[in-house]
Amino acid sequence: MPANFVSATDLIRFLPETILTIMGTVLMVLTPILNRRSSRVFGDLSLVGLAAALAGAIYAYSQPGPAFGGMLVVDGFATFFRVLVLVVGILTVLPSYRFLFRQDAETGEYHALLLFSIAGQCLMAASNDLIMVFIGLEISSIASYVLAGYLRDDKRANEASLKYFLLGSFATAFFLYGVALIYGSTGSINLTAVRAAISGQNAPSPMFIGLAAALMFVGLGFKVSAAPFQMWAPDVYQGAPTPVAAFLSAGPKAAAFAVLLRIFMTAFEPIGSGWEPVVWVSALLSMTIGNFAALLQSNVKRMLAYSSIAHAGYVLVAVTARSEIGTAAAMFYLAAYAFMNIGAFAAVSHLSGKGERYLSIDDFAGLGQKQPLTAAMLTIFMLSLIGVPLTGGFFGKFYIFKAALESHLVWLTVLGLLNSVVAAFYYLRILVMMYMHEPGDATSEAEPLSPGLRAALILPAVGTLFLGIFPAWVLDFAGRSSTLVK
Amino acid sequence: MQLWLIPILPLAGFVVNGIFGRRFSKSLVNAVAIGSVLLSFVWVLKTVLSLNAPVTEHYFTWIQSGTLRIGCDLSVDRLTAVMLLVVTGIGSLIHIYSIGYMAHEGGYYRFFAYLNLFMFFMLVLVLAANFLLLFVGWEGVGLCSYLLIGFYFDKQFATNAGNKAFIVNRIGDFGFSLAVFYIFKNFGSLDFATVFQQAPNAPVSILTTIGVLLMVGACGKSAQLPLYVWLPDAMAGPTPVSALIHAATMVTAGVYMTARSWPIYTHAPAAMEVIAVIGIATAFFAATIGLAQNDIKKVFAYSTVSQLGYMFVGVGCGAFSAGIYHLMTHAFFKALLFLGSGSVIHALSGEQDLRNMGGLRTKIPWTFGTMMCAGVAIAGIPPFAGFFSKDAILLAAYHRAPWMYWLGTITAGMTAFYVFRAMFLAFFGRYRGDRHAHESPPVMLVPLAILAALSLAGGFLFKVPAFLGAVFPPLEVEEDVTLMVISTAAGVIGIALAWLMYVAKPGMADSFAGSMKGLYTLVYNKYFVDELYDAAVVKPVVSGSRVVLWQGVDTGVIDGAVNGAGARARNIGGVLRRIQSGSIRSYATWVLLGSVLVIVAIGIAEGIR
Amino acid sequence: MSLLTVVLIGPLVGFLAALLIPRSLPQYSRAWALVISLTTFVDSLVLVGRFDRGQGGEQLGLDLQWITSPDIHFAISVNGVSLWLVLLSTFLTPLCVLISWHSIQNRVKEFYAFLLLLEFGLIGVFLAQDLFLFYVFWEVSLVPMYFLIGIWGHERRIYAAVKFFLYTMAGSVLMLTAIIYLYNRALTFSYPAILEMLTSGRLVFTAEEQILLFLAFFVAFAVKVPLFPLHTWLPDAHVEAPTAGSIMLASVMLKMGTYGILHFCLPLFPTASRNCAPWIAVLAIIGIIYGALVSMVQPNLKKLVAYSSVSHLGFVVLGIFSFTQIGLDGAVYQMLNHGISTGALFAFVGLLYERRHSLAIADYGGVATAAPWLSTAFLITTLASIGLPMLNNFVGEFLVLQGTAMANFTWAVWASLGVILSACYMLWMYQRVFYGEAGHEVRSHVFDLKLREWAVVIPLVAMMVWMGIYSQSFLAPVGKVTARVLEQTEVNVPFRVALPTHVEAANAR
Repeated sequence: MPANFVSATDLIRFLPETILTIMGTVLMVLTPILNRRSSRVFGDLSLVGLAAALAGAIYAYSQPGPAFGGMLVVDGFATFFRVLVLVVGILTVLPSYRFLFRQDAETGEYHALLLFSIAGQCLMAASNDLIMVFIGLEISSIASYVLAGYLRDDKRANEASLKYFLLGSFATAFFLYGVALIYGSTGSINLTAVRAAISGQNAPSPMFIGLAAALMFVGLGFKVSAAPFQMWAPDVYQGAPTPVAAFLSAGPKAAAFAVLLRIFMTAFEPIGSGWEPVVWVSALLSMTIGNFAALLQSNVKRMLAYSSIAHAGYVLVAVTARSEIGTAAAMFYLAAYAFMNIGAFAAVSHLSGKGERYLSIDDFAGLGQKQPLTAAMLTIFMLSLIGVPLTGGFFGKFYIFKAALESHLVWLTVLGLLNSVVAAFYYLRILVMMYMHEPGDATSEAEPLSPGLRAALILPAVGTLFLGIFPAWVLDFAGRSSTLVK
Repeated sequence: MQLWLIPILPLAGFVVNGIFGRRFSKSLVNAVAIGSVLLSFVWVLKTVLSLNAPVTEHYFTWIQSGTLRIGCDLSVDRLTAVMLLVVTGIGSLIHIYSIGYMAHEGGYYRFFAYLNLFMFFMLVLVLAANFLLLFVGWEGVGLCSYLLIGFYFDKQFATNAGNKAFIVNRIGDFGFSLAVFYIFKNFGSLDFATVFQQAPNAPVSILTTIGVLLMVGACGKSAQLPLYVWLPDAMAGPTPVSALIHAATMVTAGVYMTARSWPIYTHAPAAMEVIAVIGIATAFFAATIGLAQNDIKKVFAYSTVSQLGYMFVGVGCGAFSAGIYHLMTHAFFKALLFLGSGSVIHALSGEQDLRNMGGLRTKIPWTFGTMMCAGVAIAGIPPFAGFFSKDAILLAAYHRAPWMYWLGTITAGMTAFYVFRAMFLAFFGRYRGDRHAHESPPVMLVPLAILAALSLAGGFLFKVPAFLGAVFPPLEVEEDVTLMVISTAAGVIGIALAWLMYVAKPGMADSFAGSMKGLYTLVYNKYFVDELYDAAVVKPVVSGSRVVLWQGVDTGVIDGAVNGAGARARNIGGVLRRIQSGSIRSYATWVLLGSVLVIVAIGIAEGIR
Repeated sequence: MSLLTVVLIGPLVGFLAALLIPRSLPQYSRAWALVISLTTFVDSLVLVGRFDRGQGGEQLGLDLQWITSPDIHFAISVNGVSLWLVLLSTFLTPLCVLISWHSIQNRVKEFYAFLLLLEFGLIGVFLAQDLFLFYVFWEVSLVPMYFLIGIWGHERRIYAAVKFFLYTMAGSVLMLTAIIYLYNRALTFSYPAILEMLTSGRLVFTAEEQILLFLAFFVAFAVKVPLFPLHTWLPDAHVEAPTAGSIMLASVMLKMGTYGILHFCLPLFPTASRNCAPWIAVLAIIGIIYGALVSMVQPNLKKLVAYSSVSHLGFVVLGIFSFTQIGLDGAVYQMLNHGISTGALFAFVGLLYERRHSLAIADYGGVATAAPWLSTAFLITTLASIGLPMLNNFVGEFLVLQGTAMANFTWAVWASLGVILSACYMLWMYQRVFYGEAGHEVRSHVFDLKLREWAVVIPLVAMMVWMGIYSQSFLAPVGKVTARVLEQTEVNVPFRVALPTHVEAANAR
């Protein structure tokens, strides 16, 4: 390791995390000072913070390369995910204004926790070192455990956060064991070094490496809610405040996938043939369990939770492909998924009303007549989740299965696509409700769209269509950055 | 020669009346309808007189695809000439007659429009220069028959009869169209000229198949066994329709078509055998039914079926010209019989049952007189029209197979019997009805008179066989006086018997019927053929489609499977939901199990290497 | 801007603009839809004028890069078959607008918007020359139809709409797999280019690959056709859909399937198509007879017509898999005929429904007395659909059966049974609805055609007569294309046929 531990470029490459941490702390400090009424400020500040971090992330990319002696690395891949989680953050804050106001739970710490969690995810995206990964993972997780239980006096929320916390730490333990094993057997925690050690001369017994890989997959599989580690997702998503659920389904998931891809596509790539079957099975299980279980759900948040399990499955298909195209596909898909899913959740939180009363699918009845705009946007998200062309969802799926077929995963492809037919059924239920039924209480009582929510609906919708009609921009970037440093 | 004018004129009449007829006065409708038909009759005369060699005219290509090229071609030769004259000639007369007959009916313009349309299709049929165009006319006349049978469309029985006619004909057309496909498959063309010129060197098996399939078509159109069932019901239409379509012209299309295809048949003896047998069987079978009918039109309907049988015997025995000959004479006297009975019905304002008639000869003498002429003609009394043609056919039949001759002769006797039975029941004895009878107007009587003249003199005025000598292959059978005498005698005996049973000793008929009850009921109910078809074909198909196919296969099996798949998916979902117990401990266990699985899997995979 | 794009984009623009019309002004939505659909129709007529009937290749092509990686193009062009299918769509859309003028009263704006979007999707399907683009249009056309059925349909509309969507999607995901597989092998989505590789032998499939890919495509198309036993979505969709929906569904959407088979399955997988032909022919024949028999016993007018479509489309499929010039021409012609006459049937049934508010045959009877002209129009259509000569369907059915007879006479015999049965169910229906004594309900509610309705009736009837008497004006360009397709499916010299003209075009660019 070089003597001068920290250089200027290192700091630049660490910019987003820094900004977020500072702004988070500021918010914490401000909470007691500012009185609760002028609380819009918290939201505004966190938006500013996120925007700044976004700028920072982009600026950091102007000087790509490793930082802190290779613990971090700022490459296209890292930047892609940093930008992604930051956008997710923004899209989470926008609907939160109205939501928190309705629950009158506007405080600084909500936003602070959000920023910390995002900081952790940025770290995960950029870390090229197992310890860094672990730290990022913990920062992100702990913050989100609390967020899940943010509504103190809501029993379901408390239960959710407790479950999330216990199981989460259980899973992280596995990850940590994995790290230990690697360090023990290769004497290194830097992914590049680990890879070299594995593939090089006098490599440690594959048994150990395989075991380590398995343990890490368990840990990360839990974070991305891949079967068979998906159990927590439905309860947590249902219990957590809607904007938080939206955030959980997009941000941490994306970051966890970033780590998963980085570790398995670099360090463990040499033993790919070993872990491929496991991921294959996990992908199929996730898709199937997610879609079939979603069929019967009457609660929208729970349904979307299962759907997010299914979508994790789709991304795992891309991982199974074990190719750069696969990596790129996964990146693109996570972006598209973030847009459509956050948008969907935003619509839900808009409709749910005070104390989240209206969360049943039937509550969407007649939305098409009462609030055409909301309905139209939600339609776009649903069609995208189904995978209808001209939406990001379709192109993402298309690209993933293209990668899979290139790696000769014919059966996984066919099964996956047939899965998406099953999925179509429950997404259609919402369309049916919105357009083919007469308005009910929920839609009649629904308040007009607040500016924040309007933005939180329109921006993702635009994004979804953009990714569907002009995918090239994002795709090219993903393609270029899918070559990871090895 | 501008052949196209011949069919186009009636078509124009149809279009004009069809679109504007509703607003026209009756006289204007008449002018258009009858004018168009008369004009085309005139044009036919001009064509026939200037006709020396066969002519074909090409107008435009109707269908072209690959090697298949169907032209809209019309052609005329002597055979066509005869048909043209019969169709337009009789057609014109019946149009005129209809003025009087339909005077009091609703939908006046509609009636004449349909009649014109029929003329158009019939003329296309006879003028067609290829099989497909002939098929156009063939289907077209079927359509008009359907429309006119169901002319009183608010009457269930009428529309039923219409459907029956169309559908039974479709069964025939099934055969016809298959024949067409087979012809093209083997001859690479549908033009008569090409096909017939290639026919002699084609293998017999193919020609036989084609011949039989064509005959299936003819059986439908010309009401032969086993497809004759529609014709008697067709009497539900107005009487002029029965006369024009279901006696004189359309039903003879089958005869014309088979005669037209003689080059195919002459090389397919088996097929000709089939025709002859079907013909003679139908002739006899229908005649027996005719013996016991009480509805005057039904009597003549079965008589038509029987007479058509004769024509097919002629064709089947190679006496094509004789068949056409009988076609013409039959057109004269059968049209007359129908128009006559129409006049009777008109006179009795709608009464059709012979049992409620009688003694009408004094009340409506003209009708009586003219119908008598038709009677003697159909009975084959020399020197009237029917005698010559029927004799020619029976002669040919005898040389083909004597038994056909004898059966034919017996049939001739029965024919004479039931025709005169009807005559005597209607015009002799005392009046048994309660309506006031009045003679029909001249506009109806004049056509009757003309047809009467034709029935009497048509036979020796128009020597069709001589005229068609050039068209058909010669059939050398020397005249045989004894046969002639026997068949004539059969006719005379038939008439005498009728006189004895219905004029001299009324009541003898009933006692006679009573003495052989079973046979009588069987005949009286037309051998229960309709009931048989209904029970054996119609009902099974309909209920089968409803119960087995629709409710069984479609709703039950296929949709059941589809919806079942959906249900199964939900069940799986239910199971998965139950696993989701909500208790952390169980979740943790699951995670643990999962991780063990993963570890073992990867461990094994790695361990192997 | 090329003429094709004008025809294609016209409805899309119309759709977007229609979204801006305030819902308080339904008349404007109607008028706008009429204007747009009519202009599109005129454009397509110009297209017909520009089209060079002399050659059978793809024409008036346009090719723009759309997505760089993977290389996806916005490539459209028209040939002698798609030309007519496009014209069919543009011809029927204005009629649909008119037919819905009064019958659609709620959410008028959305209705016409979706109608235009549907037209856009359908035209696109027939023009797309890039497999990816084709799939996009294929799915896009699905969505508006789903809403048309689901929102403006009858009682069980939701079941029908969802069933329709899932049925079709289940088929098309398989096609998507096949398309991606093709791309990975050929490294392009351009259909002409792929064909060129096949013909020049640079791309060769193993027999197994070919059969699987063929089936993947074929199932997707067979669902749309629909081919027995994949047809059960059709009756529900038709019965529940609003009149305009039924018309577009029967007349154009079903043709997406048969067009796909003709345009993609045969040229791409000649050997497989040939090998599967007997099985498919048998299914088609079953469909013909089965559809007719089931149709005969339907108590509901729309269901009857729907099942009759199953029977009619059976003829089309049979014609295609006869692999004879005559059969293929007949199949294509039958697509158009079915579009016109079945479209007309649904339109007229719609008129009856507007008056009597019932689809049950039992509720009618004696309409002929109450509404003579409507009955006449309906009669002509009935006769057309039972294949009466001098009306359109006859030509198609004759060619199909003749072609089939050339290939296998037994098939022709069985298929011809369908012709008998069609007479049975149609005439029986006509008798029960239009003949007999007019009941009170009928007499008081069923009035004759109004001016707006004449505007729908006359074009349809005119087309039936024209296509029946002078088929040459349509068949000539079709023949060119089918000849080329046959050439491409020559099985003895699998991929060594002369380069089709449209391929040179592809290489030139």
